[in-house]
Amino acid sequence: MSGGPPKALPSTGPQSLRDMPHPLAGSSSEEAVGGDSTPSPDLLTARSFGDKDLILPNGGTPAGTASPASSSSLLNRLQLDDDMDGETRDLFVTVDDPKKHVCTMETYITYRITTKSTRVEFDLPEYSVRRRYQDFDWLRNKLEESQPTHLIPPLPEKFVVKGVVDRFSEEFVETRRKALDKFLKRITDHPVLSFNEHFNVFLTAKDLNAHKKQGMALLTRVGESVKHVAGGYKLRNRPLEFAAIGEYLDTFALKLGTIDRIAQRIIKEEIEYLVELREYGPVYSTWSALEAELAEPLEGVSACIGNCSTALEELTDDMTEDFLPVLREYILYSDSMKSVLKKRDQVQAEYEAKLEAVALRKEERPKVPADVEKCQDRMECFNADLKADMERWQNNKRQDFRQLLMGMADKNIQYYEKCLMAWESIIPLLQEKQEAK
Amino acid sequence: MEQAAPDPERLLQPAPLEPLSHPDAGLESMVGEETKGARDEGPGDGTMTENNFSLKKIEISVSEAEKRTGRNAMNMQETYTAYLIETRSVEHSDGQSVLTDSLWRRYSEFELLRNYLLVYYPHIVVPPLPEKRAEFVWHKLSADNMDPDFVERRRIGLENFLLRVASHPILCRDKIFYLFLTQEGNWKETVNETGFQLKADSRLKALNATFRVKNPDKIILKRNISSGILADRLYGVYKVHGNYGRVFSEWSAIEKEMGDGLQSAGHHMDVYASSIDDILEDEEHYADQLKEYLFYAEALRAVCRKHELTQYDLETAAQDLAAKKQQCEELATGTVRTFSLKGMTTKLFGQETPEQREARIKMLEEQIKEGEQQLKSKNLEGREFVKNAWADIERFKEQKNHDLKEALISYAVMQISMCKKAIWDILKDCAVLFCFSFCVPSGRKKS
Repeated sequence: MSGGPPKALPSTGPQSLRDMPHPLAGSSSEEAVGGDSTPSPDLLTARSFGDKDLILPNGGTPAGTASPASSSSLLNRLQLDDDMDGETRDLFVTVDDPKKHVCTMETYITYRITTKSTRVEFDLPEYSVRRRYQDFDWLRNKLEESQPTHLIPPLPEKFVVKGVVDRFSEEFVETRRKALDKFLKRITDHPVLSFNEHFNVFLTAKDLNAHKKQGMALLTRVGESVKHVAGGYKLRNRPLEFAAIGEYLDTFALKLGTIDRIAQRIIKEEIEYLVELREYGPVYSTWSALEAELAEPLEGVSACIGNCSTALEELTDDMTEDFLPVLREYILYSDSMKSVLKKRDQVQAEYEAKLEAVALRKEERPKVPADVEKCQDRMECFNADLKADMERWQNNKRQDFRQLLMGMADKNIQYYEKCLMAWESIIPLLQEKQEAK
Repeated sequence: MEQAAPDPERLLQPAPLEPLSHPDAGLESMVGEETKGARDEGPGDGTMTENNFSLKKIEISVSEAEKRTGRNAMNMQETYTAYLIETRSVEHSDGQSVLTDSLWRRYSEFELLRNYLLVYYPHIVVPPLPEKRAEFVWHKLSADNMDPDFVERRRIGLENFLLRVASHPILCRDKIFYLFLTQEGNWKETVNETGFQLKADSRLKALNATFRVKNPDKIILKRNISSGILADRLYGVYKVHGNYGRVFSEWSAIEKEMGDGLQSAGHHMDVYASSIDDILEDEEHYADQLKEYLFYAEALRAVCRKHELTQYDLETAAQDLAAKKQQCEELATGTVRTFSLKGMTTKLFGQETPEQREARIKMLEEQIKEGEQQLKSKNLEGREFVKNAWADIERFKEQKNHDLKEALISYAVMQISMCKKAIWDILKDCAVLFCFSFCVPSGRKKS
């Protein structure tokens, strides 16, 4: 590979299994989770994470003595240990503090971007700027232009499709903020993109608009060359590995789309159920007013059902705010990745066409002209970048989805724990009277 | 479900009806183990037979249901369900139970029995029967009396009815009830021979019809309706989760390291979706328990209606008596204060003879004497009615509080165990998610 891209930083994928504390390690490791999923002994190396008090459910009985607080916190602990090695990180970016700006022409939201870095590319160790969605959009376009051989992370949807959603509602702004934060963090973690000049400007410039106007065209060598690839070259055979990636992305996006639809339907059903539940609880209150001995327990049942309703509402909100956005983000990601694949095809097609043209010239000593060599160069760079990015993407995807599914599992556990507490609280109301009889 | 205390001073009961209690029909009954949701009613109090009838404990169960076809009164073919009633007597010494009787009855015969009991025991809160028609059969398209779930719930309801009658201190001694359990053929004729339908006060039926749903009942009824819709919605939530199963499975097929975790997630969803059937069965059982007391409330009201009616009769009789007394007085003294047809005709067609007048006075005096006696006995019987009714109402109230508390406790326990199981299932599947996938160990060689 001649003149390859800058050296890639070590992979930022998840840590090795060996280094991670086994979730069932600790004092009660004998009482493994269920009988069927006992892990192998070499995974039992416990790392001191400060979680010596890991309490686990007893044997395989559903009615075990797991204290409510521990089931959920157990999951939380399991998710914490995925952070990157602190030692190799030298750039930290955060998006927070959304603020509304009301001007004569328009109203919009800005977000605070905080950067901390020890890299030489940054003049100061710390920066804090405000950016709006437009600016993120600009950044992404610039990155696509200047780093066409790399996979650029997606931005949340620009326009709100269902016009009923309020652009300035807390939930919408928060969902967007999280997505924008994710976007920047992905770039930060990328060994090539994080050094991009546009990214630097985005993070540091006091006045971004001035920079936009200057139209800085700081293209990398590869970027410039790729930009000039004329279209119209037809690729005959996509190499197997890239074909496989393409097929994978197609199916992947399809499945995610289906899951998104199912999730939306579940939310709808849950809301309908909630409506009924909210009517049902008060009936017990009314009934309780007509009773003497049963008055207190019935009132208790009414309150209990009220608590369960609230818990369900919170769960449904979590699904909407945490689960759905990630699905949509990955669908967008897949789309942009597929166009990068197509661009790669273009580059390969150009090279092959030129190569063929040379072969047809029938010179005695077919000397590969410089521009064909350049094409080959371009193609091989592209392939390498793409392969590296794909692997990185797969790792991150794994991490993201594990976190997503575990997060949803955790939220569900919290829901059931709340309901459990509610129902347990009325048992004494019913029993003490029984004993008093 | 509480009614105002009947005023002891103003009570009346129509012609006293004797319960046809056969001296040998003393039954001390016990809840059988075959019954679902066995109740601990222990009716040992005061249900002992007074005579030397050998002490036997009886277990009653409605053990089977069967579809039958036959010809109805209009000679048309019809399909109905018959229920098998088994009675076992338990010998004291060894506790073994022996099947003593078993016969088949259909719903209409249960109805007949109950109507009979209502007439002959007006002061008793008679246990209710399960619904005649299937109303809220959740998540099914039509309300079908032949639907196996409905038939099953009805079987349980009929069994509860028999057990409650058998554990009632007074009702359990009734001969017709005894025959219901023991005499398959001819029972209907025997009941009808009692002529109870004639004795039934038709006004009572009319009154009951107009006051079908009162406030407390509306609420409980509403709760049951809610329960039906609630169950439907809950069913929807669970079942849609089942759609995840296939997608996750298909997704896992294209993934390398994530495959196991996704499979686990999909499997979890399938299990979750199918758990709704058991959950709803429990919900249904609970709803049925509440419904039973809804119908019980109607029986309670029937007792009070009876009281109201008899009070009305008493007042009418008293007024009648007063009018006759006045008439008598007028005739005797010759003053006409009240209008009477006789008086008018006398004015028009001439005075009556002194002999005629004497005769009339004598007749009236006899009637007055009769009336006074009747009023006295009615008053007495009325007070008896109140005393007995009140005793039964107290008994009923205690039973209701006990039963409902038990129903609420078991409902809460069911919810608790459902939550615990759900938490457990999630944790279990998460362990797979975390441990065995999503992680690329550094030692593993990548192809």
